[in-house]
Amino acid sequence: MLVLLPQAIVDGILLGGIYLTVSMGFSLAYGVLHVIDFAVGDWIMLGAFAGLTFTQWFHLDPLLSLPVIFVIFAAIGWMLQPSLQHVLSGSRGRPVLMALVFTFGLALAFRGSALTVFGIFTHSLNTVLSQGSWHFSRGSFFLTIPVIRLAGLVYALAVMVGLTYLLKKTDFGLAIRAVAQNKEAAGLMGVNIKKTNAAVYGLYVGISAMTGVFIGAIVSLNAGMGPDLALFAFFVVVLAGMGYLAGVPWASFLLGLVQSFFLIYLNPSYVLLALFTILYVILLISPTGLFRRGV
Amino acid sequence: MPEPVLRLEKLTVAFGGLMAVDSVSFDIAPGEILGLIGPNGAGKTTVFNAVSGYNKPTHGRVSFLGHDVTGRQPYTLAAMGIGRTFQIVKPFSGLSVLENIIVSSYLRHPRQAQAREKASEVLRFIGLADRADVPAAGLTLAGRKRLEIGKALALEPKLLLLDEVVAGLNPTEVDQTVQLILKIRDAGITILIVEHIMRVIMKISTRIIVLNYGRMIAHGKPEEVASNREVIEAYLGESVATADRSTS
Amino acid sequence: MRRLPAWVWILLVIAAVGTVPLLIRDAFFLRLFTEALMWIGLAITWDLMCGYTGYLNFGHGVFFGVGAYTAALLMIKGGWSFAPAAALGGLTAGLVALVIGWPTLRLRGAYFAIGTWAMNRAVLQLALVLDITGGADGLRLPPFLDPPFFAYVMLSVVGGTFLVLWLLLEQAPFGLKLKAIREDESGSLAIGLNPALLKLQAFVLSAVPVGIIGGVYAYWITFIDPLSTLGDLVTDQAVVMAIFGGLGTLIGPVIGAIIFFAFKTYFWAYLSDYQVLYIIILGLAIAATVFFLPDGFWGTVSRRREGRRALRKGLAFEKAKQT
Repeated sequence: MLVLLPQAIVDGILLGGIYLTVSMGFSLAYGVLHVIDFAVGDWIMLGAFAGLTFTQWFHLDPLLSLPVIFVIFAAIGWMLQPSLQHVLSGSRGRPVLMALVFTFGLALAFRGSALTVFGIFTHSLNTVLSQGSWHFSRGSFFLTIPVIRLAGLVYALAVMVGLTYLLKKTDFGLAIRAVAQNKEAAGLMGVNIKKTNAAVYGLYVGISAMTGVFIGAIVSLNAGMGPDLALFAFFVVVLAGMGYLAGVPWASFLLGLVQSFFLIYLNPSYVLLALFTILYVILLISPTGLFRRGV
Repeated sequence: MPEPVLRLEKLTVAFGGLMAVDSVSFDIAPGEILGLIGPNGAGKTTVFNAVSGYNKPTHGRVSFLGHDVTGRQPYTLAAMGIGRTFQIVKPFSGLSVLENIIVSSYLRHPRQAQAREKASEVLRFIGLADRADVPAAGLTLAGRKRLEIGKALALEPKLLLLDEVVAGLNPTEVDQTVQLILKIRDAGITILIVEHIMRVIMKISTRIIVLNYGRMIAHGKPEEVASNREVIEAYLGESVATADRSTS
Repeated sequence: MRRLPAWVWILLVIAAVGTVPLLIRDAFFLRLFTEALMWIGLAITWDLMCGYTGYLNFGHGVFFGVGAYTAALLMIKGGWSFAPAAALGGLTAGLVALVIGWPTLRLRGAYFAIGTWAMNRAVLQLALVLDITGGADGLRLPPFLDPPFFAYVMLSVVGGTFLVLWLLLEQAPFGLKLKAIREDESGSLAIGLNPALLKLQAFVLSAVPVGIIGGVYAYWITFIDPLSTLGDLVTDQAVVMAIFGGLGTLIGPVIGAIIFFAFKTYFWAYLSDYQVLYIIILGLAIAATVFFLPDGFWGTVSRRREGRRALRKGLAFEKAKQT
């Protein structure tokens, strides 16, 4: 079985790339807005279907839809965020939990909408990169790397680099970090909190939607894929430490590697279960994440 | 001194490398009001937390009525007779004023009817009886601070820890609270009080303990402490400013 | 006239509701009646954890599924009769709550929501994967068609649950203690409460009736499968009903359950071409209720009543002081 090891590792890294894309925006949103968005998986799903629609209407490669989808969804997120803020700043009940329930409701509404428009069937996004794969072999070792998965990894790394640049090197990024650390002080320093919040949420939704296109191309898409993706996002982010952006890449690749090992060495139908159990146990042992830097 | 109500022996609470409380030892005699003062960050609230079970001491011992209670849970300590207030008041906002006290009353009066009666009694004692059904969130700051005291009183404590219960109140409210504290003392409850407003703590304390950077730098009667050189230095700017304000 | 104690009123209402199956014998109506009661049970138990204790259980349906499968397996493979099987369904659900609850309740709000949600999906996976549960095909129980019987069983279970919860939450200290934990868990320690223990008690209490209801469901519908008993929709609908009705009360979820179930039935009956729209409406209902009516229907009503009462009392006190 050792002969499968290199493949398992490569698969794990590629899978980790997918998780990285799913979790980056989500962790950012949590760090700044302190909201756990139960709809993260469904934003991804909507992005995937948007890519599908784009392809069906314009007969262009889905990858070309990425910028369009980003802009559209970022705008949607930007417009939606004030509603979320309204729930979060509610004077009654427990605002944070009510915000959770709010996003939970939205997720359900998105899922229902996708089911209504697209039905229950699973689709696949065909891109120019979907068919190719690179093969390596030496002796009894072999590696197959589907190009589209590699593209996903490249996308993930690009997003990561982009976000890091944004946060560390731009004024806007400075504002975001300030709001994340101390909202009131940031406001007193002249940061427009409302705009920053809306922008961050828009950014997160835009990224998630783009991620959807990739996942649709790499795996598949169907209206019910939201919850499982959300769960993976949660676990990556909890593993990394909620709000601790630097931990997300580590956690993503770790999760990818663990899952790919399970996929190869374990009965496939038990993989999801094994993952859930492990992740659940980790949640219990160390809720503040591997690096204990979570909030 | 008769058997002390509370005895701290070399109490130390360290957070990582930071010694929030550094080898503090003192006794509190029954019926006295012991004042705990010190500049901001001196470790006063940490002492409270260590005594009431919210922080586990790193070293040292806390004894209450002769029993070693170091590191015990807050609810155990409450049952044994320690009640406390919090510097940032924590009312149960969604409950009414009366309900807030009823929950505390359950400790000594597990049945609903008796707890309700006890709570009404406490409300009258602290002067909030007219606002019994108001949601706690709707009280003024003075009301919330009073409620905080009431919640602790309903536990029928032998030792009451008061953490800055007059901070933020206007002079009239301060005086009313002082009256309340003296009433509590007269009812036989021993009090450990942290306060920044010097005229209050100097006036009502039997003895005073001064902390600075987690260490105890002075203790004794209020007059002795007030003229203690080290204390004045620790407070340098503050004592002058407070003296000015207290002449109003 | 001396006012009757609450529990007498509750029993009277249950008895009154109990006359309905005698008067209306239409099988379809009785099915609706039974299902409405079922949802009341699911909603009030969910509210126990969320409204009273402040812990969002997004995996509440797992108790339902566990109860259903336990009862089904006992009846099919073990030859047990209905009542003990359903009872054991409740017991198993309670056990699950005990085992899962002890570590999970240590998690703070959002983590707890995620943790319970994950647990539910894990058990769903388990049911899909194991042979003994029949996998995705589910289990078939020995058929027993008697609508009035199930109507009365469901009424007894749910009515009994309501009564017990009323006594524990509204009359006994337990309810107020839970609310204190909800408001300020850390502060509740200082007044002598042990939140870990109280939360666990609430969690188990929210699980056992749901397990029994699951067991009843299994025998009533004669067929269970992972998606219908362990799927998201069980929890989702309970959540809507409780929130829409009003958290932190027992009457709120009852009203919410009845209204929402009525809507669902109407929807299913007349708009069955648009079934998937239901999910959209469910989601929007949750979001809209949280946004516009955070106290829910009954919550808003009772808040206004309480506010007026406090105002009247305060004014009366002022007046008394002046005379």
